[in-house]
Amino acid sequence: MSSPIVQLPEAQLRPLLAGYNATVRSRRWHTLLIFVAVVVAMGLSSIAAEVSLPTFVDKIGNFTGYIGRLFHLDSGRGVWTDPVEWYWGLGRWLRLLGETLVMAYVGTALGVIGAFFLSFLAATNVTPNRWLSVVVRRFCEFCRTVPGLVFALMFVIAFGLGPMAGVLAVAIHTLGTLVKLFSEVVENIDPKPVEGVSSTGAAWHVAMRFGALPQVLSGFVSYTLLRFEINVRESAVLGFVGAGGIGMDLFEAIRKFYYSDVSAILVMIVITVALIDSATSLIRHRLLGLMDGHR
Amino acid sequence: MLRLDGLVKEFGAKRAVDSVSMIVPPGQFVGVIGQSGAGKSTLLRAINRLSDPTQGSIWCNDTDVMALKGRGLRQWRARCAMIFQQFNLAGRLDVLTNVLMGRAFHAPVWRSVAKLWTAEEKAMGLSALESLDIARLAGQRADTLSGGQQQRVAIARALIQEPEIILADEPVASLDPRNTRVVMDALLHINKHFGITVMCNLHSLDLARKYCDRLVGLAGGQLVFDGVPAALTDHVARDLYGLEASDVVDADQRPVLVLGGAQGLAVANP
Amino acid sequence: MMNRGQIDVAALRGRHPHHFVGLQREQRMLALVAAALIALLLLGMAYLDFFDAKTLRGITKLGEVAILMLPPDPGSWAHFQLYFWALIETISIALLGTLTAAVLALPLGLLAARNVTASRFLRFLTRRSLDTIRSIDILVWALIWISVVGLGPFAGVLAFATSDIGSFGKLFAEAIEAADRKPVEGIVSTGGGKLLGVRFGILPEVFPVLASQLLYYFESNTRWASVLGVVGAGGIGLQLGEAIRVLELQQASFIILMILIAVALIDVISNRLRFALIGRRVQTA
Ligand SMILES: Nc1ncnc2c1ncn2[C@@H]1O[C@H](COP(=O)(O)OP(=O)(O)OP(=O)(O)O)[C@@H](O)[C@H]1O
Ligand SMILES: [Mg+2]
Repeated sequence: MSSPIVQLPEAQLRPLLAGYNATVRSRRWHTLLIFVAVVVAMGLSSIAAEVSLPTFVDKIGNFTGYIGRLFHLDSGRGVWTDPVEWYWGLGRWLRLLGETLVMAYVGTALGVIGAFFLSFLAATNVTPNRWLSVVVRRFCEFCRTVPGLVFALMFVIAFGLGPMAGVLAVAIHTLGTLVKLFSEVVENIDPKPVEGVSSTGAAWHVAMRFGALPQVLSGFVSYTLLRFEINVRESAVLGFVGAGGIGMDLFEAIRKFYYSDVSAILVMIVITVALIDSATSLIRHRLLGLMDGHR
Repeated sequence: MLRLDGLVKEFGAKRAVDSVSMIVPPGQFVGVIGQSGAGKSTLLRAINRLSDPTQGSIWCNDTDVMALKGRGLRQWRARCAMIFQQFNLAGRLDVLTNVLMGRAFHAPVWRSVAKLWTAEEKAMGLSALESLDIARLAGQRADTLSGGQQQRVAIARALIQEPEIILADEPVASLDPRNTRVVMDALLHINKHFGITVMCNLHSLDLARKYCDRLVGLAGGQLVFDGVPAALTDHVARDLYGLEASDVVDADQRPVLVLGGAQGLAVANP
Repeated sequence: MMNRGQIDVAALRGRHPHHFVGLQREQRMLALVAAALIALLLLGMAYLDFFDAKTLRGITKLGEVAILMLPPDPGSWAHFQLYFWALIETISIALLGTLTAAVLALPLGLLAARNVTASRFLRFLTRRSLDTIRSIDILVWALIWISVVGLGPFAGVLAFATSDIGSFGKLFAEAIEAADRKPVEGIVSTGGGKLLGVRFGILPEVFPVLASQLLYYFESNTRWASVLGVVGAGGIGLQLGEAIRVLELQQASFIILMILIAVALIDVISNRLRFALIGRRVQTA
């Protein structure tokens, strides 16, 4: 047995190698260019964002120290040594957490109801009027792009401090996001059933009800559940600007360095979000199974 | 010399390879045949140890392949190159880089990771490609190549491993007749000129008879035939393929189902 | 001939029991669920005092606020300059934070991916940590980093860097798990180690997907970066929060307009880049 490679003579090899190197070199230049562009962009933004590595290196110890302190009571003992002391405010926090969940639920529900109707107007394939579709789309883009917290700030002016402002902020933001996602679902439906119903002379809303709705429902439900999970997380911080929920207490605890309170509330939020996360994905799978079995 | 001894591979309760024993002398062109699900791919993958056999032993000369670990195992893989039905190339990388993966065991890892190939390695890769007539494609992305070209890239990758054995798992199953010839001829050439052992899974009995020195037949994971191609009579082939024989042997000898009164269902040959 | 009276419902039901029983039961179930959800909504609204005179007053007030916001107006040239630079700062925060998070998340994504990390325990640990990071909102991270490095945009960058590790890690792990395993197998079969398999078999394939996710996050992070300033983590949110609090509503709406324009621009640019990277439009939810 010998090596199966018969080395090409130099004269034949050279042009092949040159050809290969040329192709690879142009590709490498391309990559390098992108790399340089990214580095330059990062350099410029570091200046704009006042990034200072010395500060970071200097203070990173504070971060680990901070995380460490989160899990110690005022007395200096670990939080796990005295859960009762750690969760001294359990009753109040549970109530606020409940309020947060209600905010997320009501906000999601209102947003979904709005999005449900608007998405059929926005979807280009079934919209009764092209201009209406454009207007709805622009409006929802606005609702989506302005961060929820900004809405919350304004609603606090109008409705005063409290969960109402938060709910409306969640609802508006949900509306903006879901109309986009829902209308994409609607745009992807099979047009035949809709045409079938329309051809019997049915009105637009009837065609939607029997032609389009059965096809889009599972997609809608999926997106809604995903959104609910995000909204729970978001509602938990709306309190930072006074818009209700557990965020108020969390904000105060962080600002006033009540370390063990911060960890207590965060642990509650993390667990709640994890529970909701698994619950929604469970429901999503069950419900989708139910609906698919239906068709 | 490659020796398999009571090789077993189980997937859960299923025995995909069932006590296969055989000896392959160096330089042989072995065709592995059998119907779909017979365990052909599993057998080759077990030899390369891409998947570990459940039982049995594999010896190559004095190497106990089953006992190898880490670097030793990787060395073994370098010694027995694999060629896949779906080529298994990295589509977004260029052809030569794909071929040079064949030196992965020999080059230091840091150099490979940084794609810093030596001039010698590049020359090797290009020579291997040129011997398969595709060196001019060296700079092209692998997924822009035709199936036949991709399979030749895969063969070039196997070649620069400078292997003792080439394990080819249905190398021509997704190729057209012309490319099938090109690829099979290349394997034959490698086998005859350089004395590299080839073990090749094949679906087509015609190809198996034409190219192989020896055929082994698997059925339900067991070795049920082992002999020269001439010994593979249509009768044996039918046994091997069951009712599917119609797909691989001449159509006029197709077995048919007849309903025979009291005996019930029977297979007969008109 | 067949008319309504002749359809033998009982026989049909006997032959296709699923169509009758199943449909009815499932439909009743769906209706029940819908009713429960609506009842819950009404209860929730009652709990949050929606059915109150205050609500009506709020809505009127909201109308007034909306009118007071128009037309958007920065007030003065000096203000405009201030806002402009704050906007640049905002974009910078988003860019740096997103990139840093992506760089840090890549190894974690590999660690959480089934086809790269063999150890089930390690994978589980990584995934849980990523989930935990993800379930804490960016604003909380911002506050924590403010406590560590002080007020200012740097805290914002660090907030994005930490918060997005969670999302990126999870997305990257999914992209990596979705990668074709054949190229890796090809490399492993030649005697290459795991490292080479990942480097040449997986990374080139998933890179465009990761880059496109990064671009998408950059866009949405710019939006978020514009509120970090509300809690003091740099960027235009500081001015926006201030303008709203002191009821300089025309300035507030001007700032919002600036943010909208910036986000739209970034959207266009990132779509172009994404297109160049993948050669096709990708759907990102
Ligand atoms: N990873 C696996 N997990 C479970 N079962 C497997 C796995 N790989 C193969 N099998 C089973 O082992 C048996 C043999 O499969 P194998 O792929 O070796 O067949 P084959 O002879 O190569 O067939 P084909 O000609 O279709 O490629 C089949 O029944 C298959 O279902
Ligand atoms: Mg096979």
